[in-house]
Amino acid sequence: MKGWQYLLSGIVLIALVIQLVPGELPSTEINNPGDLIESGIVSIEVAGLLRTSCYDCHSNETKFPWYSYVAPFSWLVAKDVKDARKELNFSVWQDYDMVEKLKKLDDISIEVREGEMPMPIYTAIHTSAKLSDAQRQLIVQWAEDAMDIVVEEDEESGPEEG
Amino acid sequence: MAALLGLLFFQGTTKPEDKATSSHLAFSPDMPANIKAIVDQKCYGCHNAESKNEKGKAKLDWDAFEASKKAKQMATKGKIAEALEAGEMPPAKFLENKPEGKLTEAELATLLEWSAGKKKSN
Repeated sequence: MKGWQYLLSGIVLIALVIQLVPGELPSTEINNPGDLIESGIVSIEVAGLLRTSCYDCHSNETKFPWYSYVAPFSWLVAKDVKDARKELNFSVWQDYDMVEKLKKLDDISIEVREGEMPMPIYTAIHTSAKLSDAQRQLIVQWAEDAMDIVVEEDEESGPEEG
Repeated sequence: MAALLGLLFFQGTTKPEDKATSSHLAFSPDMPANIKAIVDQKCYGCHNAESKNEKGKAKLDWDAFEASKKAKQMATKGKIAEALEAGEMPPAKFLENKPEGKLTEAELATLLEWSAGKKKSN
């Protein structure tokens, strides 16, 4: 064999061997009673935007593309989705207390306004998740309004302490 | 031990003031004077609208905080409590050059009580 043939077989071999490295994608769940959209705090329009641009990482309803089962992409996807859900998981929205909800809504408005979210590495591949300026503005406005609603709801349900 | 006694003494003397201001806080966005004093001294230097510390200004602009609506203030207070509980503020790097900028235990307890609504432990 020639030099480049050795190199190629080496690369193929490594690509095969890394598939054996154990690693699991986060599990998915379609039925989420505590979901944000189920809670009725989101308009149909904004719900659609959140579903197409956020829910793949920030919910239990991740739709994993085929390459996400192939190492080394699987490692990246697994880590990103795990981190994303830890930071904000719309599927368990109702489990967050009032201050948690406010912090997350505030973060949403900041990160979406500044273009930090959805992450450019994600929209580069999932082009349908890209947000226009008008769509960004819709989400930002929703998040800011929702903060007021969250506070009002909490006051109606009565002060818990202090 | 002496520091502990000192802390108890501090709590004992400031409690009546806290009580008076906390009920006021529930209905007004105005900050209690004891919080304002600590913030002015230990936080405002970086966290203000004119700050040259871009990251500090982006994360928390105290001038904007005071002008913002109630829900936004509550969210910000939650984030302040988080940063304080994690011991992230003032940043360790900043304290290397300015050790006197560190929050005293009493100041930290006061800020936490205000931001997280936590009761001071006795």
